[in-house]
Amino acid sequence: MTDPTVAPVLLIALPIVAAAVVLLAGLRWPRSGWPISLVALVLEGGLAAWLASAVFGDSGRLVHELGAYGRPGENEFAVGIELVADALSATMVGLIALIALSVLAVTRRAGPRGVPFYAAYLMLIGGLMGVSLTGDVFNLFVFLEITGIATYTLVASNRSAPAAVAALKYLIVGTTGASLYLLGVGYLLMATGTLNMADLAATLAGEPSFVDGPMYTDPLVLASFAFIATGLFVKAAIFPLHTWQPGAYDEAPDGVTVAISALVSTIGAYAFLRISLSVFTPAFFEATPIVATVIVTVASVSVVAGSALAVMQSRIKRTFAYSSVSQFGLVVLATGIALHPDAGASAAEAALIGAVIHLVGHAVVKGGLFTAAMGLALDSDARTIDDLAGLGRQSPVLSAAMALLGLTLVGVPPAVGFLGKWYIVIGAMNADLWPVAVVILLSTVLTLAYVARLFEQLYFTPAPSGDEAGAEAPADTSDDHAMAADGGNSADDGTEEHLSDPTPGAPFGVVAVAVGAAILAILLGFAGAEFADALEPFVTEVLGQ
Amino acid sequence: MSTVESLRPLLAVAISTVAIPLIVASYRRPNVRDSISVLTALGKFAIVASMLPAVLNGDEFRWSLGTYAPGVEFALRADPLGMLFALLSSLLWVFTAFYAIGYMRGLDEHSQTRFFAAFAGSLAAAVGIAFAENLLTIFVFYELLSVATYPLVAHDETDEARAAGRKYLLYTFFGGGVLVLGGTALVYVLAGTTTFGATAQGLSTADPTLAKAAFAMLAAGFGIKAGLMPAHSWLPDAMVAPTPVSGLLHAVAVVKAGAFGVARVILDVYGPDVVSDLGVGLPLAAVAAFTLLAASVIALRQDHLKRRLAYSTISQLSYIVLGLSLLGPTAITGGLLHIPAHAFMKLTLFFCAGIIHVETHTDYIPEMDGIGKRMPLTMTAFAIAAAGMAGIPLVAGFVSKWFLLVGAVQVNEAIFAVALLVSGVLNIAYFWPIVYGAFFESPDGADEKPLISGPLGGREGPRNIQLLKPAGSHGSHGESSGMGGALAGSSDGRDDPAPLEDGEYAVDRHPSDHAGDSATENDPAVAAESDDSVDVGDDSAGHDEETIADDHDDHADHAHHGGPGPDGWERRRWTGEESTWLLLGPILAVATGALVLGIVPYEAQFLELVEVIVEGVSA
Repeated sequence: MTDPTVAPVLLIALPIVAAAVVLLAGLRWPRSGWPISLVALVLEGGLAAWLASAVFGDSGRLVHELGAYGRPGENEFAVGIELVADALSATMVGLIALIALSVLAVTRRAGPRGVPFYAAYLMLIGGLMGVSLTGDVFNLFVFLEITGIATYTLVASNRSAPAAVAALKYLIVGTTGASLYLLGVGYLLMATGTLNMADLAATLAGEPSFVDGPMYTDPLVLASFAFIATGLFVKAAIFPLHTWQPGAYDEAPDGVTVAISALVSTIGAYAFLRISLSVFTPAFFEATPIVATVIVTVASVSVVAGSALAVMQSRIKRTFAYSSVSQFGLVVLATGIALHPDAGASAAEAALIGAVIHLVGHAVVKGGLFTAAMGLALDSDARTIDDLAGLGRQSPVLSAAMALLGLTLVGVPPAVGFLGKWYIVIGAMNADLWPVAVVILLSTVLTLAYVARLFEQLYFTPAPSGDEAGAEAPADTSDDHAMAADGGNSADDGTEEHLSDPTPGAPFGVVAVAVGAAILAILLGFAGAEFADALEPFVTEVLGQ
Repeated sequence: MSTVESLRPLLAVAISTVAIPLIVASYRRPNVRDSISVLTALGKFAIVASMLPAVLNGDEFRWSLGTYAPGVEFALRADPLGMLFALLSSLLWVFTAFYAIGYMRGLDEHSQTRFFAAFAGSLAAAVGIAFAENLLTIFVFYELLSVATYPLVAHDETDEARAAGRKYLLYTFFGGGVLVLGGTALVYVLAGTTTFGATAQGLSTADPTLAKAAFAMLAAGFGIKAGLMPAHSWLPDAMVAPTPVSGLLHAVAVVKAGAFGVARVILDVYGPDVVSDLGVGLPLAAVAAFTLLAASVIALRQDHLKRRLAYSTISQLSYIVLGLSLLGPTAITGGLLHIPAHAFMKLTLFFCAGIIHVETHTDYIPEMDGIGKRMPLTMTAFAIAAAGMAGIPLVAGFVSKWFLLVGAVQVNEAIFAVALLVSGVLNIAYFWPIVYGAFFESPDGADEKPLISGPLGGREGPRNIQLLKPAGSHGSHGESSGMGGALAGSSDGRDDPAPLEDGEYAVDRHPSDHAGDSATENDPAVAAESDDSVDVGDDSAGHDEETIADDHDDHADHAHHGGPGPDGWERRRWTGEESTWLLLGPILAVATGALVLGIVPYEAQFLELVEVIVEGVSA
């Protein structure tokens, strides 16, 4: 087991096997889901760390050929499926492993629980790992579908009618997206005769002897990219293909929202990044300049429209959901800049690093925000932004976490949200894409527009009812006095409980994850430079082709 | 000239950051909490001051966290320009810390813990801005400053306060997160670095259009915080904050962070030579000159004392920007010296406004006629500082203005000298009526003040129409119709709850932070009693209830708010019985500072520091 090339296989197989074990064991011991999942995901974390240390350490790019079919000849296509771990996939694997464990902590007490949840959840993790690690475009589709089906199940696990509708909508739209992707893959197969990413890249570049020159301008290839990009934009919820996403986020059980907001759209954006970089490669975008322009335009619209829609929402989870539309727009925008034919080497490099940092940073921040929202909902049943009024005093820890994460989202330095934006804007400016730079800079103010509403409600709006207003003005010495009096009053109407306890409703796991996400977001801001250094070889390699 | 690796710049920033959790943790013990606040202020000043002698000798202290983004370190460096701002902020924080305790306890304010914690955070960010070694680091602290001051602006938790907070966030984030960040990124793209002093070379050879664009973004981004017109309107609105905030942050730390940012951009990012080559100094000077005149004119028409001071701040900050953008060494000296000079004077004025509010709940200037009897020491300090604002010798404002005037003539831009002189006259026009009214008038016998309350451009029709109006205790609110109404932004109508008039701000009607108990408002005897209980903050819980009720009903009882009692102002002696020493002490100390700076500017260190900076720039 000393050869790290086995890690990718284990990373994918372990959660899927564990999902089956959970199901079977659940027949006999219905409460065994949590311990089994915990063990599986802790092991998964260890594997992820092993893989990351190998990839970022000395090994660099790891390739594992499933079934060891190999290649018939020196320059022939691979026969079997390859799993590939490079810096980008290792980053994703680490992120997924970390968030998977966090979600387990979040749902421990607050739910959802039970055998079906843990089984579907482990399937989801397996699918996500598969998408991150596969080196085969068809295999990617399979894992996308595993991810998708697991997510539909989880969204619907709320057992409410709106959740069922949301899940159905997600099922239809998501499957359409996956089908579009599959169509694109079919076209690629027709054009080249292979599904292996590395072989595809080489064939499209015209390297094999049986093709006459680069195929980038082949209508088949162009159509294929259009299908694939559209399909993945659906998965990443890019405006105007985002329609499944707010409903799914809002109606899913809170714990599930944390997982899908942090991971599922993220994996869609990752898949887009991966296909663009490793299959079509920058040379494709150079040969067809219009493609990058279209991507940048669509993404810019998504950035602006997502924020505008977020401002218009009254429900907390919907606000954050639309915020994701905007933030993934930013990631795709960065990808577009990195691949833009006008971008020089340094611009492309900065933009690509920015895309990866923002992808990771957003996952942490959005997961944390949904966790904090979940905690506040458990504490005070706060579902709309107006419900947040005065919670800064009732749930100080969760409110502080939400405020910090909100600031990170806005891009207040030194947290990670700013760092990603800095790289992306440097890339845009270096590439002379001035309107794009303006959109990125303005996105700060757009994000602020909905985040500021949260602050205002949390800290500067008195709680609605009369007795809670008493807690709003406790002056120095009477702080504890007011608290006590308030607690007494609330006991009467029976809706609020023991206010002297800062977070009575939210279990420790929820609070800890929200706070941990806030701290991690700030630490990542400072670790950005090292991370960029670690990504450097990967970036130069994918961009240098 | 050497650079010393030292932790001291970091400590200067960190000490008040560390204080935040301590302040929050001690929220149940107000005395402990407030002591922490004061000790932190003293410690911060001590750390900053300990670096002063070496910096004056040409040494610099530097601390670096390491690379933050490629080619950019997260680093702090105590250089002379940074020292100027850090020394000023930390010194004045010491006085404000005492004053804020007196103020918050005197008014029995809510959420004092949050207030003091945010205050400490703001100061940490301000010193971070002072010591930042490059544009990216300054941007980090600049944004943190916006975040840390937001809770102070929205402190009241009323609709006006929230609206002011929203506006504040919008303006400062547009200035910081969009313009400064954009300018910083552009400078990085053009020059390959953002370290102060290292960018001028790259910028001078870069595409001039882009270099100009970057300058415009940086100047506008920092200018928004410095209240440059037309992006100034957040500042008068932010006056809903408690007065110590208006004083230290919105006259010293925050707005000066903007002015300081402009100084960094002109002196260290571009350097006067490149600014001159690009030809961007003159437009900035023109904006500053316009601002300083227009703001002075608007200040004339403000009835609310804090709003008048706010417009005065906008005007005076433009002196600084004007001096810097004229680019001559003497003008730069004047501009930089005006940073501390204005700080001392304006802090005095705000402290006076605050103490008047605490003691008498008076916020409107027409109600202050004869208040010199009630608050003799306060109004004396006010008179001194106001004289300084107008540039009368022996007060700090004169010295800096002198340099500015000479500097403007030196660079052959005498027109700006004229603007400065006109502004000086306007300063007298809007401050003198306050001083005159306080000492030489009484509530019953106030003269008309045609320049301030009459319609602009003189009156139409027979004069005696105005005189028919009874000269009541609320003074003469002029018929500021038409242009007056639009410009002044405040006038009559305070007593009636009708919808807001065009140009009137809600804050005029519901002045900032009054949370006074209605019992003390009209009855001087009760007011006197409350004086005694103010200084220790041993307020009863019952008191609180009243505060809350008052907070929510201030629409109803506003008409009875403030002003002299039915028998006019009570006379208090000059021995400090007008208020508590927790409030009076800082006022007198800061006013003395303004005098010291005006009489012996070199001994006060600030002028010496400014000369070191200017030498360094022109070398």
